[in-house]
Amino acid sequence: MTRRRPRRRKSPRRKRSHKPFPWLKLLLVLLLMLGGYIVWLDIQVTAQFTGKRWSLPARVYARPLDLYAGQELTPEQLVAELEALHYRPVRSVQQAGQYSRNREVFHVMTRPFTFWDGEEPARNLRISFSGGRVSQLAERTSGSAIALARLDPVLVGSFYPAHNEDRVLLQLDKVPVSLTDALIAIEDRGFYQHHGIAPLAILRALWANIRAGGVVQGGSTLTQQLVKNFFLTSERTLLRKVNEAIMALLLEIHYSKDEILEAYLNEVYLAQDGSRSINGFGLASYFYFERPLSELSVDQYALLVGLVKGPSYYNPWKHPERARARRNLVLDVMARLALISEEEAVRARTQQLGVGPVGRKAINTFPAFLDLVRRQLQTDYRDEDITSEGLSIFTTLNPQVQWRLERVLSKRLDELENGLRMERGKLEGAAVVTSVQGGEVLAMAGGRDPKFAGFNRALDAYRQVGSLLKPAVYLTALEQPQRYTLATLIDDGPLTYTARNGDVWEPGNYDRQNHGNVPLYQALAHSYNISTARLGLALGVDKVILTLRRLGVEQKLNPYPSLLLGAVEMSPFQVTRMYQTFASGGFATPLRAITAVLASDKTPLQRYPLKVYAAIEPGPDHLITTALLYVVREGTGQAIYQALPADRNVAGKTGTTDDLRDSWFAGFTGDRLGVVWVGRDDNQPTGLSGSTGALRVWRDLFAGFNDSGWTQTLIDGIEYQWIDPATGLLADAGCLDAVQLPFITGSAPTEYAPCVRGIGTLPEAVDWFKELFQ
Amino acid sequence: MRSTALPILLLPALALALLVQGCTTPTYYPPRGGRLPPPVIEQGSQAPADQRLPPPSVSVPPPVTAPVARPQPPAVVALLDTAERQANSGDLEAAAASLERAIRIDPRNPVLWYHLATVRLSQGDSQAAEQLAAKSNSLASGNTVQQARNWQLIARARRAHQDERGAATAEQRARELSGR
Repeated sequence: MTRRRPRRRKSPRRKRSHKPFPWLKLLLVLLLMLGGYIVWLDIQVTAQFTGKRWSLPARVYARPLDLYAGQELTPEQLVAELEALHYRPVRSVQQAGQYSRNREVFHVMTRPFTFWDGEEPARNLRISFSGGRVSQLAERTSGSAIALARLDPVLVGSFYPAHNEDRVLLQLDKVPVSLTDALIAIEDRGFYQHHGIAPLAILRALWANIRAGGVVQGGSTLTQQLVKNFFLTSERTLLRKVNEAIMALLLEIHYSKDEILEAYLNEVYLAQDGSRSINGFGLASYFYFERPLSELSVDQYALLVGLVKGPSYYNPWKHPERARARRNLVLDVMARLALISEEEAVRARTQQLGVGPVGRKAINTFPAFLDLVRRQLQTDYRDEDITSEGLSIFTTLNPQVQWRLERVLSKRLDELENGLRMERGKLEGAAVVTSVQGGEVLAMAGGRDPKFAGFNRALDAYRQVGSLLKPAVYLTALEQPQRYTLATLIDDGPLTYTARNGDVWEPGNYDRQNHGNVPLYQALAHSYNISTARLGLALGVDKVILTLRRLGVEQKLNPYPSLLLGAVEMSPFQVTRMYQTFASGGFATPLRAITAVLASDKTPLQRYPLKVYAAIEPGPDHLITTALLYVVREGTGQAIYQALPADRNVAGKTGTTDDLRDSWFAGFTGDRLGVVWVGRDDNQPTGLSGSTGALRVWRDLFAGFNDSGWTQTLIDGIEYQWIDPATGLLADAGCLDAVQLPFITGSAPTEYAPCVRGIGTLPEAVDWFKELFQ
Repeated sequence: MRSTALPILLLPALALALLVQGCTTPTYYPPRGGRLPPPVIEQGSQAPADQRLPPPSVSVPPPVTAPVARPQPPAVVALLDTAERQANSGDLEAAAASLERAIRIDPRNPVLWYHLATVRLSQGDSQAAEQLAAKSNSLASGNTVQQARNWQLIARARRAHQDERGAATAEQRARELSGR
């Protein structure tokens, strides 16, 4: 260090003294450099402005609410949906985004929205309800019936890029003129006259600042402000000021005033939401007022324009008085310039600030579901496309189901903890709800706290499934109708199995009893371990594994006998996939969370179509679902009917693992399938079985749905017979406990049970049965 | 495109068929409660009078109820119209989207699944078409007209993926059903 300094001082002196006209060369060099510098700036300006200007987060939408006559929907559900969309309840509906209600009749002016399959226009609807259904749907003014309409979808989240900038892009022709007028009036009155910089304005500002003894007025034009936001850092140096001026001039040379104004409207920083910055008026409108810009009133425009000067200083939640004064100042200027009338200004000044509730707005409302959406997107899109290309992602989420799921899960877990005198917060849960035929994921809970965006148990908690696996064993049996039917008696007596390596396995029943010979359907209904193990061993564990593979179970499965009783770890989502196949008539349906993706310009990008493939023959599926109905009617799932109406058929299965560590229930109605897991993250015993834990959550959830019951379609190749459960043989009216069971044609027993008294009456029974539906 | 979209032109006729179908599909409602009363004696006449049993102790709804003729939601009919229009104008994927929307409203309607299968076949996805037609079949019990149609479609789909034998079997099934 010390040695270098003298040398540096000497060298320039030496150079200067030896060369002629050094200043001229220097000037030339400087000019060249300046020219080069301007060219470089110009390249920057044009490249960034013409190319992609903003990285836009992907927007994730819930399913839009379809509206049609005959639809199952209550007025309360409609109100909940409208509230989630921030429609305003008013006395008389005047504009889109408003609704009025008179008991069971609603007037709703919907917002226009671009879906995958085209534009849904704004509609003026009259919706009448009756008995929990939409009884009429009509155009309000003409009164003519409308077959089908849909609301705009609820925005449920966004995928942000790493730098956390968020905006809703606006096109200038969609921006209300009063907003741009107010903006220009306040920020840059000479906008349409200047060429990027306004020296007079700078002088005026300087004068005003000198008079006030501080910075009260900025002399920057909108163009300069845009340049500052767009290309430069926020440091206050002279060089930056010079750059700003040059770039502003360059911008004006290349682009029209409208282009610059549009960019400004989308770029300007208007709020901070945690780590996310709110840029542009489009998003600011949602952030402050929870509705699109087009639905705001003049006082709200004035507030937004006022906020440009300092979003935190004028923060309407933290400093309402400052914000109000600033808004009123904007209104005064607007009135003075005759942008609004004096009366309008007076009225606007008296308005409340009208901002929505405080708090972070756009954090993802349903983190577990969004996690699933993101994973499904990642198979088709790169991460940077998801966070920056402004995709619109349409999902299958049903907010009504999701809200209910979140509510019942946390409430029931509280109650269970109380009942067990367990430390609060130890119990966790996860759940997945899908539509039975379409395999659409309607709701998902990744844990007890629905807002926690961490560990997603629905997807990532791999836990032993216990008896949930048994239907795969029974299905394997029922696929061999010459050997096994629902009436086949299987032995539930003590079992000792010695493996080839000498290991001994002695499965026991949950109730520590043996039940002798039981018909197959009852063994499943009561979830007997011993008879299931014996059945599975007779079939072969490898055969059961093949069945599981057809049911969509993908992970590594060890062919140990314990697999038969559910020593397999699966996530709730995987279990859902398995039961989906049972529920949808033997057709496997990939579980979909996404229906379509639109590009930022609203052109269709991709659709995720409904796909099915036959995984189980219809006959065996008919048999296994019948057995699952008996689980809920007479077996371990009976507690369902403490809350559900007795005439609603539910098919399902409980699952409990060793020492009561995991509590499962998977069940379906005619409309929806739900899988619930309850347990502890540390895998300690909970004291809950499938029916005392997870089943309760399922029941709370489904008690709120007006689902149709699960119905079996009578298919070709299936016949029903009356059976005496004690013997598994044909029954007649002499057998008081007789049940009617389905059989694959030709597989029913041919012998009569001892209780049969009137031989020969059965064929008539069958005919009588058939007559009812032919 | 024109020739492939042709089957879609049948939609209006099928929409009608669909209205009728709602009344004819038999539906089996499985057991609703523990033990079910054997219906033999109440109906039957062959058991001697002295062998008649008292009414069953457990009172539960019968396992089978007559099919309810449910009115077809106009929304579904409207979506079928839309799908037809979209398919005729060559926008098959939009037609599929409309049909999926209809299935969301009325998921157990075999006609909708059949049309979705038709659209997929027109798009050249014969595998998906075959599966969707099979799905329609699984929901169309007792509706032989629809079943025959599904088997015809399956035959075409199988032929499209060079499964001649499978196609012949499917055609045979279709003929049997039409002959009934």
